[in-house]
Amino acid sequence: MAEPLILHPVDRPGIATVMARKGVAPGTLNAALGLSLPDGPGAAFAGSRTAIATGPGTWLVLDDHAGADFAGRLAETLAGIAAVSDQSGSYLVHALSGPAARALLQRGLAIDLHPDAFGPGSAAISQIAHIGAVLWQVDDAPTYRIAVWRSYAESFRHWVEVTAVSLDEADQGG
Amino acid sequence: MRIPCPFCGSRDSREFVHRGDAGPARPADGADAEAMFDYVYQRANPAGLIREHWYHAQGCRNWIVVERDTRSHAVSGGAWPGPAR
Ligand SMILES: [Zn+2]
Repeated sequence: MAEPLILHPVDRPGIATVMARKGVAPGTLNAALGLSLPDGPGAAFAGSRTAIATGPGTWLVLDDHAGADFAGRLAETLAGIAAVSDQSGSYLVHALSGPAARALLQRGLAIDLHPDAFGPGSAAISQIAHIGAVLWQVDDAPTYRIAVWRSYAESFRHWVEVTAVSLDEADQGG
Repeated sequence: MRIPCPFCGSRDSREFVHRGDAGPARPADGADAEAMFDYVYQRANPAGLIREHWYHAQGCRNWIVVERDTRSHAVSGGAWPGPAR
């Protein structure tokens, strides 16, 4: 039987915000980034790279295998068409997966995660147990990734631990 | 109370900061003190529909304009202030 709940930090991904410059068509950014940026709430995946739409013309771009200079290289790639700022030091990203992951998140998140409403490629910026969070679904396990401000990461992990204990058997089955 | 964000969709009001009346327009440069006083302080406080600024602080971090009925708190609309983006 699958482990009902697995939580682990994603090992130092490169993270940056990307804001399209005025009048730049998103297609121009897609070619430079090597993925198709979502133009509404959602996530796009390409290899080790993920883009989360965080507002009109703004995205959070992550790369699991990027080095410390990720944002700098991205800024060079997107010079003249987008503003890039490094967020690697501000967010800590966790992967939360298993059949109990959805029930656990719904204890602290006021976004409907039912598969009819939220599936792989869905994303939301909201709060979990009053902690500001960027959340997106990766696969049907389900696996979610959750980015919280680094200084709140310990509070977030603590909330996951104590909430996991309170889940009943029905929740464990997902 | 649910607030309709034009980007994020319907969200709980606790994600937002309420600013108030979206009607007053800043006077032109050089306007007299009385015009500035009216702009900053004078509000109609209607019993009924009002267009308001809300800030989606725990979401997309954008300012939006919604219409609210002050008698029932029924909220509708959800649009960007200013030009379309
Ligand atoms: Zn929003």
